[in-house]
Amino acid sequence: MTAPTASAVRWFVPIAVGAAVAVTLGVYGQLHTPTGIAVNLAGFSGPLTVKVWLATVAVLLAFVQLGSALVMFGKVPGIATPSWIGTLHRWSGRVAFLLTVPVAVHCLYAVGFQSFDARVLIHSLLGCLFFGAFTVKMLILPKRGMPGWLLPLVGGVVFTVLVGLWLTSALWFFTTVGVKI
Amino acid sequence: MRRYGPLITLLGGLTLAAVLLTLSMTAARKPAEKPAAAAEFGASATETVGATPTTAAPPTTAAPAPLVGPVTYAGKVIGGGATLAIAARDGKAIAYLCDGRKIEAWLQGTAVGGAMSLTGKNGNLTGTYAGGVVTGSITARGKTWTFRLPTVAPPSGLYRATATVRNAKVVAGWIYSNGELVGVMTTNDGDPTAAPALDTSSGTAVIDGQTVYAEQVSGS
Repeated sequence: MTAPTASAVRWFVPIAVGAAVAVTLGVYGQLHTPTGIAVNLAGFSGPLTVKVWLATVAVLLAFVQLGSALVMFGKVPGIATPSWIGTLHRWSGRVAFLLTVPVAVHCLYAVGFQSFDARVLIHSLLGCLFFGAFTVKMLILPKRGMPGWLLPLVGGVVFTVLVGLWLTSALWFFTTVGVKI
Repeated sequence: MRRYGPLITLLGGLTLAAVLLTLSMTAARKPAEKPAAAAEFGASATETVGATPTTAAPPTTAAPAPLVGPVTYAGKVIGGGATLAIAARDGKAIAYLCDGRKIEAWLQGTAVGGAMSLTGKNGNLTGTYAGGVVTGSITARGKTWTFRLPTVAPPSGLYRATATVRNAKVVAGWIYSNGELVGVMTTNDGDPTAAPALDTSSGTAVIDGQTVYAEQVSGS
C-alpha cells in the first residue's frame, strides 16, 4: 500500500464512524416516540431551562476552545504559547462535551427529531451532526501523520455546529421566553 | 494516557448518556402509572417537558395547508396541573392556559401544515395536530406542560372578556371542557387571580359587582 492511500484510509475510518453516529442519532430521534419526560435537574424551574443553561455554558467553553486552539497553533500574534494551554484546551473541551450530553439525551428521548419549522429542523440536523463531528475529532486526535489542515477543519466544524445549535435553541428561548433560571 | 485521552472522553460521554437514558426511562414510566402523584410532586425528578408531538411529523414537502377550522381543542394538560384551550381558524390560532387560581397565558400564532407555533407575552407553545387531536408542549411563566387535547363543541370552548370595572382594566379567560369551568383574570396588568364563574349560556359573569360579557373565541 502506498503512503497516501494508507493516510486516506486512516482518516476515512474516523469520518465513517462519525457519520454513523450522526445518522444513528437522527434515526433514533425519528423512530423513537417522544415521551415528553426525562430526568430533571434540581434548582431549575424546568427541563427547558436546564438545557438552555447547560448549552450556554458549553458554548462559552467552545469559545475557550477556539481561543486556546488559535494560541496553540501560534495564530495569535504577540502571545507566546503557554505551557498550560494544551491542558486548558483538553479540559474545557471535555467539560463542554459532557455538558452537551444531558441536553442531547433529553432532546432525543423526550422531544425527538422534529421538522415542524425551519428552526426546529435546523436544530435537529445540527444536533445529530454535532456528535458525529465530535466523534470524528476525537478519533483523529491521537493519530499521527495526518494532514495539518484536518484537525483545525474538524475542530472548526464542531465549534460552528455547536454555536448553530445554541442559536437555534438557547438564544430562541432567551428571546421568546426570557432569561430565567 | 494522552493517546487514549480522546477515546476516554468519548466513552465518558457514552456512559453518561447511558446513565441518563436509563434514568429517563424510569422517569417516563412513573407518571404513566400515577398521573395524579406526578402532578402533586411536580418539582421532583419527573416533570412533563419539551416539545413532544406524539403524532406523525407533519409533511414538509407538500405546500403546507392551513388549519381551516374553526376548531377548538380543550382539556387538561398532562398531569392535570392546568387547563388549555386552542382555538384555530384559517391557519391562525389563539391559545389560553390557566390553572383557575393564579396562572394564565394568552398566546397567538399559526396552525399550518400539521404544526402549531404560538407565542405570547408569558410563554410559547409548539404542537402538531392531526385527526382531531393536538399534541405538544406549552411553556408559560417558566413552567412547561405537555398536552394531548381533543376537539370540543360549544358550549365547551374558550371564552374571553375584556371590560373596565371600577376604572380598572380587566381581562378574563375561561375554559369550559368536560363539564368543568376554569377561569383566571388579570386586573390592570397585575397578578392573575381566579375569575368568578361564567354563565356559558348567556356569556356573562359578575366581576366585582359588575356584569361583564364574554365572547367565545373561535380563532381569528
